Amino acid sequence: MFRYYFLLGIRSLRRNPALTALMVLTLAVGVAASISTLTILHVMSGDPIPQKSDRLFMPLMDNGPLKGYTPGEQPNDIQMSYRDAINHLSAKFGERRAALYGILMAIEPARKDLPAIESEGVATNKDFFAMFDTPFVHGQAWTENDDTKAADVVVLGNKLAEKLYGKTNPVGQYLTMIGHQFQIVGVLAPWEPSPRFYRFAGRNATFGEQEDFFIPLASAIRHEITHAGGMGCTGDTEPGWQGRLNSECTWITFWFELKTASLRQELQSYLDNYAADQRKLGRYMRQAKNKLFNVMEWMEETKVVGNDNKLSAWLAFGFLMLCLVNTVGLLLAKFSVRASEVGVRRALGASRKEIFNQFLIESSVIGLAGGVAGLILAFGALALIAMQSKQLTVVAHMDWQMLTITFVMSVTAAIVAGLFPTWRACQVTPAIQLKSQ
Amino acid sequence: MKLNFEIRPIFSALLRSKTGAILVALQVAISLAILANAVYIVQLRMEVVSRPSGVAEENDLFSINVSNRKPAEHAEQIATQKHDEAIIRGVSGVQDVTRVSQTPLSWSGSSTGVSLDRKQAATSSSVSMYVVSQSVMKLWGLKLADGRDFNQGEFREIDANTSKDFPDVVIITKATAEKLFPGQASVVGKNIYFGSGDDAKETRIIGVLDRLQTHGAQIGAKGEISVVLPTRMSNDPYSKYSVRAEPGQRDRVMKDVEVTLRKASATPLIINMRSMENDRTRRYRADNGLAWMLIAVCVLLLLVTASGIVGISSLWVTQRRKHIGVRRALGARRIDILRYFITENFMITTFGIACGVALAIGLNQLLVSKLELTKLPIAYLLGASVIFWILGIIAVVGPAARAASISPATATRST
Repeated sequence: MFRYYFLLGIRSLRRNPALTALMVLTLAVGVAASISTLTILHVMSGDPIPQKSDRLFMPLMDNGPLKGYTPGEQPNDIQMSYRDAINHLSAKFGERRAALYGILMAIEPARKDLPAIESEGVATNKDFFAMFDTPFVHGQAWTENDDTKAADVVVLGNKLAEKLYGKTNPVGQYLTMIGHQFQIVGVLAPWEPSPRFYRFAGRNATFGEQEDFFIPLASAIRHEITHAGGMGCTGDTEPGWQGRLNSECTWITFWFELKTASLRQELQSYLDNYAADQRKLGRYMRQAKNKLFNVMEWMEETKVVGNDNKLSAWLAFGFLMLCLVNTVGLLLAKFSVRASEVGVRRALGASRKEIFNQFLIESSVIGLAGGVAGLILAFGALALIAMQSKQLTVVAHMDWQMLTITFVMSVTAAIVAGLFPTWRACQVTPAIQLKSQ
Repeated sequence: MKLNFEIRPIFSALLRSKTGAILVALQVAISLAILANAVYIVQLRMEVVSRPSGVAEENDLFSINVSNRKPAEHAEQIATQKHDEAIIRGVSGVQDVTRVSQTPLSWSGSSTGVSLDRKQAATSSSVSMYVVSQSVMKLWGLKLADGRDFNQGEFREIDANTSKDFPDVVIITKATAEKLFPGQASVVGKNIYFGSGDDAKETRIIGVLDRLQTHGAQIGAKGEISVVLPTRMSNDPYSKYSVRAEPGQRDRVMKDVEVTLRKASATPLIINMRSMENDRTRRYRADNGLAWMLIAVCVLLLLVTASGIVGISSLWVTQRRKHIGVRRALGARRIDILRYFITENFMITTFGIACGVALAIGLNQLLVSKLELTKLPIAYLLGASVIFWILGIIAVVGPAARAASISPATATRST
């Protein structure tokens, strides 16, 4: 019977073409609007590293001066000073530790046909790669020895490697960066966690492309490569590079990886002890609470999903609701002219349940049609959004999950919209209908 | 009038078949709630986007960032900067060029804390800092509201790596003056301090600019809190050359400048250029994007609502064929039938609008509490109401005209 009703539903699409087209279109537009905004929200707020997002922790400690401080005030910056980063790295608490900051470096390709380029990369220590499970195509991360010796080694991102060396394996070769020779030790496979959670550089940079390169933190410090992101300075700073290293200026991002999420309390007490120790040296005089965030908490704290995205999603859902109300009205109109048909079927012995099934399946057919059309529209809308900027290109793409949701959503929407008109259709009393024929 | 007389029977008729009426009213209510808020948000965004930067003829301006120079000492770096300026100035079509630490709307630059005296423990305000090596009044077309421009003698040459030296004078914007010295008529001659405590640097205000947006061009008064300092710096992490081209020649000049700079350098340079137009587009891309999305949603809302009204009205016309026929046979004129449908729709729309206004206020409250929006002005509610009244009438005219054209003979015959 299902198949028969389904075919009837498809046929009935043609019965009232203008009305049906309107219904399908309304549904499609509503579904497309909510799906495209939902996709963006979904990608933005997704877990970028599900296997360990609850074991990676970002500390937030307030190292600002006591002068002019009112207790309870937010820290000036969410990053860490170089002194603290170095202290935490050498304290070796937890499974792994990574300190990092964004840098810009001039690269002079060996190939003479390519001009010098300015590339964006990250200065960090070797733990970074294992901590964030970065995939390698060639070679591997540098060694701890390279970290201590501040060696000039580099791990290339997939795109830059391809640009400079094509498909060949460049491991072992030397690359001229800011006039120095850096030996290539590894090349990453495409790696674009989205959001790019590990390095916060303002919301607009959170959905960027992959990093071009990675060099040891110690090497970047030795070459005095300045940060490419923001820096927060409170208190007085001596001029020059060493002055910056000794200062309380914050410009480094720090991550701890723990063996299990349950060790969080231990990390918390480690940080509290650290702050207490530093207080003996005259630092951390604000005695502010030392905070810890895991990956998802951190994304919430830094508002990775902006208000505009939430607003769009809400409005889109309001719009979908309107489309549903509209579809209810139109279905009511469509079904009401078929009261006589229902009367005849009922008189011939069809139960209310049969009528209910028939009309509900018919609504689902409309929902299906709306879903297909909505999907096409959503692809169009996302393509349009992606055209707006490079960052949005990463965000505005649909995955299988969203594709399934679109379908389920549009069919459910149509069924929900169809419930009331279907119920009304079932109320037809055969006797009165037949009499009035 | 007769209209008053008709409202009661229409109302009683409506009460007998509520479903359709409720559906239409609900549609009107939802659309009105969304439309009023959406239009308000669009208006807010458009206001933000259309703020002037304070820079005249933005389309002729662009900035150049040059890197990958050989490491050099202070004096050599300063000489290179001057040499670069001379090279750029030599390109035909260049009107003016100056080394600056940042340009408005570019999203790249630095802010620093300023206070009113040394004892003040906390800083009074964070200001966006424009460090310029020559006067930028002509280059950017800025207007002085008070005081004067820098003298040639006031420009310093400072090594950011070794020196804690700082210029003695500063030009601030009106917004900065208002922030630091609220309500004071003239601030020229007053001192402000960069930083806090004993090491804070004292500078004297010599001029007040009408307006100069910050490098971030944030929303609100914050977006214009900037200061201009007369210094040429070496080892400066933020630096670029701001160039004004002859009107209409910007794109050609940009290409020529790049080629000329590359030719003049011994090392392969990395040159990043951005026109101010690009900076402005990038700064407001999100605002424009949201505004356009909301406008699209509003248009769709109106279309969907209108189609809903047409659909339900058509349904009613079909359902009431017989009644209309009887009424016509009993002497009702076409205009009476037309008026009946329009009045009926008007009543439903009005009910929907009443609910919609309440819903719009509710939605606005939600947006205020969750997404930091401001309160919706009443004008938007009134405007949206008028739109839906008109929309309702337009949408119902078609089906109503069809109803009016039903001839009494055919309508009553088929029974």
